[in-house]
Amino acid sequence: MTNLEKYTNVFVETFEVDASEATGLAYQSILAWDSVGHMSLIAAIEDAFDIMMDTDDIIDLSSFEKGKELLAKYDVEF
Amino acid sequence: MLEIKHTTIRTLSILGQRGAFGYALNELAKENEQIIALTSDLRTTSGLDRFNNAYPERVINVGIAEQNMIGIASGLSTLGFVPFATTFANFASLRACEQMRHHMGYMRENIKIVGFGGGFAMGMFGITHYGIEDVSSIRSIPNIAILSPADSLETVKATIAAAQHKGPVYLRLTGVMNQPMVYKEDYDYEIGKAVQLRDGTDIAIFATGGMVHQSLQAAEQLDKTGISCKVVNVHTIIPIDKQAIMNSLGVKLLVTVEEHSRIGGLGSTVAEVLTELDEKPPQLLIGVSNEYKPAGSYEYMLEQYGLNFMSITEKIIKRYGEVK
Repeated sequence: MTNLEKYTNVFVETFEVDASEATGLAYQSILAWDSVGHMSLIAAIEDAFDIMMDTDDIIDLSSFEKGKELLAKYDVEF
Repeated sequence: MLEIKHTTIRTLSILGQRGAFGYALNELAKENEQIIALTSDLRTTSGLDRFNNAYPERVINVGIAEQNMIGIASGLSTLGFVPFATTFANFASLRACEQMRHHMGYMRENIKIVGFGGGFAMGMFGITHYGIEDVSSIRSIPNIAILSPADSLETVKATIAAAQHKGPVYLRLTGVMNQPMVYKEDYDYEIGKAVQLRDGTDIAIFATGGMVHQSLQAAEQLDKTGISCKVVNVHTIIPIDKQAIMNSLGVKLLVTVEEHSRIGGLGSTVAEVLTELDEKPPQLLIGVSNEYKPAGSYEYMLEQYGLNFMSITEKIIKRYGEVK
């Protein structure tokens, strides 16, 4: 499985959406991505890539695309 | 009720104790229709947004009216509801102290007060929002259980236990978002039953709230200097676990660590147990000194009052050198 597939899968499983819908998601764009859903997403990303994200990055992860950009800091390449 | 997976614990850790409380209350509400939330203009800050979205008819925002909130909670409890009323720790314990005394201490209504911002968690909000005298105020009122969880997972456990407990509870929340995990897997929690997290023979540290993690780190530092240190998580200050104290009388120094005034909190509670004994180890009370220092970020305040793990280690080494 590629990193992009793993990353997309995290959104699919956390928010129970289709992969096609996941790529366009942003914070609070759906009901499930609220503050609690956000922390569940972060925990799932950390688990998937075996990383621990900094608090600033946790707050900055405001969309599917932004998350890909932030994960580069943790040597996750897409 | 709630499946505790690795990712759940990490999610709770990122949320911090306030978010973890809201998470737990939402889960409780699914199974218990009597659960109801009250807040004094702090719904989002209390982590109650998801609860509010799911059960808007079970959330009462009373506005900035903490005293009135206790009275409303008391009325609801007489009707069989289980009210969780949230506000800052100092607003509950100081502004609404008399209402807590009457409705919770005297009338023993089944009210759960959630005091968040215990210690210095409110950071840049400043001294007016710090909760450093709340335990000492509430502890002198009979019949109120005082819970002080060590991390976010324990906050969930304490919230569930508070809902099941018949009688008044004060749930004191400390720390900020991304709080360190003391517990990395599920465990058994019982009100009034302290948890030994680490064994040791020279020193016993009794810590509560966010200071539990700092104390574990201090114990690791002490271990490097050849000092064997036990750490006990006192997640319930009232009723205090006397047996846990009795089990530690053989150490050379007993230390209490709390993010609260050294007057009237955990240290005083432990001292009141020790003073009734003929044979006891000396006690070192580590907590907030009786003065107001300039306000700042959470980490800055811990540093100023000597409550980060390095300062705790230094204080213990100094006192241990005097008594061993």
